[in-house]
Order: sequence, then C-alpha cells, then structure tokens
Amino acid sequence: MDYTKKPLPPIVGKIGFGLLGVGLLLMILAFVVDTKRAYFDYLWMYMFLVSIGAGSLALVALEYLVGATWSTPFRRISEFLASLIPLLVILVIPLIFGMHDLFHWTHESTLASDPLLQAKEPYLNVQFFLIRTAIVLFIWVLFYFLFTRNSMKQDISGDPLLTKQSIKYSAVFAILFIFSITVIAIDWMMSLEYHWFSTMFGVYYFAGTIVAAFAAATFCSVMLNENGYLVSKIKNNNYYSFATLLFGFNVFWAYIGFSQYMLIWYADIPEETFWVMMRMKGSWSYFSIGLIFLHFVIPFLALLPRSSKVKPKLLVVMSVWLLLAHAYDLYWIIMPSYFTKGFVFGWSELGFLMFAFGLIITVFKIRAAKTNLVPVRDPKLEAGLNFHLN
Amino acid sequence: MSLDATYTKEIPLVEGGVSFKDIDRVIIEPTNTKPTKGWWIAFLMSFAALMIGAVSLVLTIYYGIGMWGNNQPVGWAFGIINFVFWIGIGHAGTLISAILYLFRQKWRTGIARFAEAMTIFAVMTAGIFPIIHTGRPWLAGYLLPLPNMNGVWVNFYSPLLWDVFAVSTYFTISFLFWGIGLIPDLATMRDRTTSKIKKTIYSVLSLGWTNSNRNWSNYERAYLILAGISTPLVLSVHSIVSFDFAVSVIPGWHTTIFPPYFVAGAIFSGFGMVSTILIIVRKVFNLQHIITINHLETMNKILLATGMMVGYAYGMEFFIAWYSGNTFEQFVFINRAFGPYAWSYWIMISCNVIFPQLFWFKKIRRSIPVTMVLVLLVNVGMWFERFVIIVTSLHRDFLPSSWAMFTPTLTDMGLLVGSFGFFFTFLLLFLKTLPLVSISEVKAVMEGAQPTVHPHPHSNGKQNSH
Repeated sequence: MDYTKKPLPPIVGKIGFGLLGVGLLLMILAFVVDTKRAYFDYLWMYMFLVSIGAGSLALVALEYLVGATWSTPFRRISEFLASLIPLLVILVIPLIFGMHDLFHWTHESTLASDPLLQAKEPYLNVQFFLIRTAIVLFIWVLFYFLFTRNSMKQDISGDPLLTKQSIKYSAVFAILFIFSITVIAIDWMMSLEYHWFSTMFGVYYFAGTIVAAFAAATFCSVMLNENGYLVSKIKNNNYYSFATLLFGFNVFWAYIGFSQYMLIWYADIPEETFWVMMRMKGSWSYFSIGLIFLHFVIPFLALLPRSSKVKPKLLVVMSVWLLLAHAYDLYWIIMPSYFTKGFVFGWSELGFLMFAFGLIITVFKIRAAKTNLVPVRDPKLEAGLNFHLN
Repeated sequence: MSLDATYTKEIPLVEGGVSFKDIDRVIIEPTNTKPTKGWWIAFLMSFAALMIGAVSLVLTIYYGIGMWGNNQPVGWAFGIINFVFWIGIGHAGTLISAILYLFRQKWRTGIARFAEAMTIFAVMTAGIFPIIHTGRPWLAGYLLPLPNMNGVWVNFYSPLLWDVFAVSTYFTISFLFWGIGLIPDLATMRDRTTSKIKKTIYSVLSLGWTNSNRNWSNYERAYLILAGISTPLVLSVHSIVSFDFAVSVIPGWHTTIFPPYFVAGAIFSGFGMVSTILIIVRKVFNLQHIITINHLETMNKILLATGMMVGYAYGMEFFIAWYSGNTFEQFVFINRAFGPYAWSYWIMISCNVIFPQLFWFKKIRRSIPVTMVLVLLVNVGMWFERFVIIVTSLHRDFLPSSWAMFTPTLTDMGLLVGSFGFFFTFLLLFLKTLPLVSISEVKAVMEGAQPTVHPHPHSNGKQNSH
C-alpha cells in the first residue's frame, strides 16, 4: 500500500467558496425579491442536499452490509459527502419558518374547509411533522457519527472488530434509513399536494437519492484517483463497478418512476391523476418529457456498452450528468406546486443550485484536509485494491 | 463475498479440500446410480398428487370452471393465486443465475443450476392456470396476436396479454440460459460415462463441446449476454403480474407500489422454495461440502431482507389507505386485517414478516432445523399473500348486496395439490438425470482454480487473484 496523504489542490477550495459565496448572495436576494418562490427553491435545494448526505451514508452502510470489498478504497469519499448530515440540522431551520408558504395544509382555513385534510390531520399537523423531521435528522446524525468514528479509529488501530461493529450498525441503519427516507419524502414533498398519495413515493425518492449519492461518489473517486490522490494501484476494474452500479441504480429509478406513472395513467382516477396533470400543464409537459431523456434514456445508452464502463472521462461526465438529472427530478417533484402554469428557471433557482454544489464541495474539502482519503488500515482494503474482474 | 473474521480472506466456497475429480464424481453420482427407496417414495407421492391434479384438470375442462369455487364477486381465486404463487417461485432461479452473476456473487455457483431448473418447472406449473382459467383452453392459441380467419385480435391494452408475452419470454430465456449452462457439464458426463446409450444422448446434448479455449470464450460471452437479457426479465415478469391487479380500480388492488412489492415477494418466495428443497437434497446426495451452511446462511439473509421489503409494502399500503382518506380503500384494509378472512391476513403477516425476523440471529441462520421450519412458513405465507390480495379485495364489493364468501371446492384443492405434484415430479426426474450443481462453475470458484499470474517486475499488470 503506497498511500501518502496529499492536500487537495487549492482550486477545489476556490471553486467551492466561489459557488458558495455567489449562491448565498443570490439566495439572500431571492428571499428579498420573492419570499415564497425562494422557499420553494430552498426546499428543492434542501432535498438535493438530503439526497447526497443521507444517500452517501446509506452507501457506506451498504458496503458494510453486503460485505463489498471493491468499494473499500473509496469509502472515505462517501463518508466525506455524508458529513452534510450535521449541516442538514441547521439548514432545515429556514424551512420551518417557510412552512406556511410551502404547505397549504398548515393553514387553519384550509383545515376547516377540507374534510379530506381533516381525515389526515392526525398525521399532517405541524407539531407531529416537526417531531418526525427531528427524529429522522437525529437518526441520521447519530449514525453518521457512529460510522465515521469507527472508520477514523480504524485508521489508527486497524482493528477488525471495528468493521464487525460497523456491520451491525449498518444492519440497523438500513432499516431506519428506508423508514426515514420514506417519512422525509412523504412529509417534505408528497404533502406539498396534500390530496395526492402514492404508495410508491418513498421508494421513488429513495431510488433517486441512491443514484445521486452514487454519482457524487463516482465523480469524486474517479477525479481523485485519476489525479493520484488515492492509492496508485487502483485500476479500471474498480471503475467498471462504478459504471455498472451507476447504470443499475439509474435503471432501478426508471423502473420505479415508470411503474408509478403507468399505474396512475392506466387506472385514471382523478384523485391521483391531478398530480401528473400538473406536470403536463403548459411548458411542464416538455419538462416531463425531458426528465425521461435526461435521467434515463441518455445515461442508459451512454453507460450500457461494456467499453464505456472503463473510460474515466465518460464516468466523470455521466456522474455530473446524473447529479444534475437528480436535481432536475427533484425540481419536477417540487416546483409544479409553485410554478403552476409552466416551469421557470431563473437566477434565483440557479443561485440555490450553486449554493448546494458550493456547500458540497466546501464540506468535502474541509473533511479531506484533516483525514486520509483512503481508509488506510481497513482490513478489507487489500482485497479492494487487488480487486479485478473474473 | 463472504469474508472470514479478520475481513481479509474469503471463506472457501467449497469445503473439505476436495479435488476437482471429487467434484465430478460426487455431482454426477446421482445420475449414475439406481434410484433409492426414498426417491421412489417421493416420486410416487408426487406422481399421485399429479394424478389428482390431472383428474381435477379433466373435470375443469369437461364441465367448465363452474367446478371451481369462484363466484360473484370473487371472480378470481385459486386459479390466479396458484398462477402468481408459482410464477413467484420461479423467480429465484433467474435471479441467482443472472443478477447474482452480474453482481459477481461467487457463492451462487453452488445453487444456481438447481434454482434454474426449479424456475423452469415452476413457470411450467404456473402457465397451466391462466390457460385453464380462460375456460376454453383449446382456444388458447388466440392469446397470441396471430392473424386468423375469424379476425379475432388481442387487446394490447390488457395486462393479461402482457402476461402472455412476459411469461413466455421469461420461460424461453430461462430455458436457454439453463440449457447453455448445462453444455460443459453434459460434456463432462459424456466423457465419463461408460454406457453407449448415455454417451450418445450426452454427445448430442453437449453440442460437440471440446473444452477448447474457443468453446469457453464463446460460452462465457453467451452466458454474459443471456444474464444481461434475463436481468430485466426478472423484474418485468412479476411487475407485469402485479399490473394484472394494479391497473384496475379495485380498492386493495390499485396501488402504485405493487410492481417492486411483487418482485420482492417473488424473490422471497423463490428463495424460500430453493432453501426448502436444497436442505433435503444436499443431505440426500451428500453435497454438504458444495452447498454449505454458508450458502444457506446467505440465503437466509436474503430472505430476511426481502421479507422486510414485503413488510414495508404491507405497511405502506395500510398507511396510504388511511392517508388517502378514501373510505373504500380504508374499508378493504380493515376488512383484510379484521374481517372474516383475518386469519389469512395474519398468517401472511406472521409467516412473511414476523417469523423471518428470527434470521437476525446468526445461530438461527446457521441452524438447519430452524431454517427448514422458517422457509416452510415462507412458502405458506407467500401462498396466503396472494390469497389475501385476491380474495379479500374482491369478496366485499362496493355494494353490500354483492358480498360473498369464497369457499374452495374439491376441484380447487385438487388443482392446488396437482400443481405441487407436477412441479415435484419434474424436479425429482431432474435430480436423477442431470447434474444438479454446475460442475464447471463450482470448479471455477474452488481454491487453485484461478489463474495465478505473477506480476512482472516491470509491468503494472493484473495481480494474483488471492
């Protein structure tokens, strides 16, 4: 093992701070100009950060749970990305103030006049809503610290018992994660249209988070490895796994999305179809068709050939592509509740997106400054470095 | 990949340090020896069950499906339950041979062949039911969109037609996959047998296999392509089966989570059945060192995971039924859990969600008697899941005047028994005629089978595999 820690190039920090700064400025301006729109944008950005943060932690747990070794040399990267989780606790605060603007069901007058909402009131009330969000964030923060603490300790001791303990954590976390991501999806996104319901919705968001978190991990891993920040031994066989899983997770997302859409379309019950109809109105119809191509068809064709699975450049392009596709998907889920006539993408939305990317890069950079980029004494590392196909 | 306690070494997949020759011998042996008494007993029982099924089938075709307990409003019952049940069983094989292959799960080699064979027999069993459910099985040809002089054309909007395509495609691909996987093993058997008749049969079936480099590289390529084609099929077949229900507007049937929920359930039931039979087979044919306790443990983990996935779906359906505020939807779910068929609902919940939780404990995962009981319960639970979905959603229609209970008739029971007979008769014949473990694939994952390329000092080439 020939790993020597190198600091990331200063350009990373500059890009991160730049995006963060400009994004923050535009965000503040957006709140001044149009508060309601800014809250929707903020929710969109927040859900994107949830996808990357919580999804990355789920990927860390997944590696432990299934006993994968090929991904061990890259696990730190998902751990770094998961460090968005503690920030999610702070970033949720503005959303709580925006609940009145975001969620119609919080209005007393709506509640009084809508029997369907009254039926949901035991679940959809502000108090319980906040308790649920707090519990979910607590679970994520707790497991974030449990996983990273073990991983850091192992860098010093190399104790295999720490791996054993993390496997146990991951089994528990797997269940809690599915539960919590469903709650977050229903509360923060499905309840924007509180009349609408779909049993698939939690799975749909879950499928998207995994694509996004895995795309982020792929991008960082390939960039760092190609520029020699990781162990020099890692070769194309590991890239093959990245590309295959990226492809697989994305097909899973498409399968879930198609099933949800198809069943609603076929049964044609107005209480479900209105949600889809909102996404067919005006320019939203083009946006919806765009989702199919940007999130599924193009990545599918790009990642399908065997030859493309070992091309680092293609992987970098496709992982950024899929990250943006996930943002597009979240926009498609959230924004039709605000832009009811057709989709709009202005400087305000761009600002929030810049802030999200700036934050991710900055957090990554800060974490990478202090910690080894490779879990140097993880017992599975050797097997991961020696990994090859066949 | 299973690692040892230090997380540095893989646990050997084949235990006991056996040689390649031993593998040939022990796997081929059942096909060379005369059937034992135990086999005959099992075969006669299966065959008797098959005959009961045959009688019921004749009654059904002669008198019509009025022989069944189906009524108004329970228009779908045992016929569809059995269809979905057996199609579900048929999912483990292709999952193991295709998806686990793509995921490079080497442990699959020990169980893949057997599970594939099981898949084929299960799909054959399943296929009987929709055909006889049409009431006029002699007209089944019209299910295919073929031009005919009556100008009868199929309804492409109907998921029942999609079933025809999905199931027949699935069967064809699974059969090809299984057949191609068998070729090297049939060649091994050809080379080892002393009987002239057998030699001729194996020679024909092994398609002139010579173990040459070119043979192997074509074989590997074909295997990979078929695995790629099979993978979406594993998802599509049961998704389309779920569409049969979910595209309707029947409360309890129309819910968007159905496709992945059905797929998870199918994998769950398929692994349940694979486990049930393998536990017996590995003992009877002395394969404990090839199909090891580690294999059973891994399968138990998959059962635990998929069991919780169906549990998630049960919970989600219930929650959204309440959340939707739709009183009809709510009624169906309350009726499922507390109505006249509550017993079937709680059988489903306990067998599929509650009992598999015992698999959290390593001791239980590695205990064969307990595993046997739990996997049998999984089989029961998954049959009842389909019963719950189909019968309880139908038996209390929108108007209370259209409420009825469903009682299966003797013919219904006969067909259910017969389906097991059909499945097990084929399976028992398979066990005595073809190698039930893939010889070549197991050899490939044994110690010492991997190429050991020693890294050249000046090259950055591939490393040694261990």
